[in-house]
Amino acid sequence: MSATIDVDDDSPVHPGEHHDHGPSDGTYWKVFWALVVITALEVSTYFWDVWFGESSWTFAVPLLLVLMVVKFVLIASVFMHLRFDSKLLTRIFYFGLALACIVYLAALAVMNIFTDNGNPWFNDPPPAVTPSAVVTGETTGGGMGG
Amino acid sequence: MTDVALEPVDDVEFPDDVHATSTGISNPKLAMWTYLASDCLLFGGLISTYLLYRNRPGNIPGLSGSDLRASELFNIPFTSMTSFILLMSSLTMVLAVNAVMRRDVERMRLWLVATSVLGAMFLGGQIYEFAEFVNYGLGYTSNVSASAFYTLTGLHGAHVAVGVLMLISATVYSMRRQLNAEAVETLGLYWHFVDIVWVVIFAIVYLIP
Repeated sequence: MSATIDVDDDSPVHPGEHHDHGPSDGTYWKVFWALVVITALEVSTYFWDVWFGESSWTFAVPLLLVLMVVKFVLIASVFMHLRFDSKLLTRIFYFGLALACIVYLAALAVMNIFTDNGNPWFNDPPPAVTPSAVVTGETTGGGMGG
Repeated sequence: MTDVALEPVDDVEFPDDVHATSTGISNPKLAMWTYLASDCLLFGGLISTYLLYRNRPGNIPGLSGSDLRASELFNIPFTSMTSFILLMSSLTMVLAVNAVMRRDVERMRLWLVATSVLGAMFLGGQIYEFAEFVNYGLGYTSNVSASAFYTLTGLHGAHVAVGVLMLISATVYSMRRQLNAEAVETLGLYWHFVDIVWVVIFAIVYLIP
């Protein structure tokens, strides 16, 4: 059983040589507790409609999105070291993320997720089935394009 | 082993990387970040699919299936607990990386084992959740809503399972042979990404009605 770490000359990372650049264990614990508090706040929104009424969802949904982004950035910046590493890595990761957000927000918008124009195939509840509709095939569009 | 005195270089976290690559970033690390960026697109697609189909139970004309939706069966207190477990595993992972940077191999192993145990607990929770849903009659092919839900959370679970296997492999490897510190750091990046994806899934799929 070896209790050493291989540090060869070609290794791009030499343990023990750059540990001062990153955060300490104490910083990681602080970030962790911050994440725990945020998660607890997120979970509490599940009970808001009982505590404050149905209208509380108007505030809960934007708050959940903001808290989600804060947690995401905290983990990426501190735990994944983006804040302390090369800016190139930050650009690569957030470019992929931005691309995903743009592509899928556009796709969701095209598929009627944010609006209600009567397309029954994606966002809306399914149309009521009547025997005559089934027989004549009026509502069995069958395609995903609506 | 060598003992090299390093001078800080602008915008480069690991100065000795400059000698290894033109970007100043080691190739494995750059590859992992590129993979993670591409994985954003994969999970983005699955989350979007779930958002599109989550209100689509099985009573669509022309299709057959259950009227149940996964969102009707969510057990938020239970899922909150598994989310906390995954969050805790991110902390133990980053402590493992810090330990290996200090050449503290024993502690690194301890934190790696802790991370893999927490990851396995999360997986156990997900399997329990799936089993509960199936008991309620919501299978993978029950309706499009269920298929989208199982595909999204199942693929995330598969990522966690792969991560747990890699953590166990790294721990065992460190007992038999000398372990490169960068391997632990790169493994940590993967594990934190799995956590980050769950942060998004937990908020968008589970908490937002």
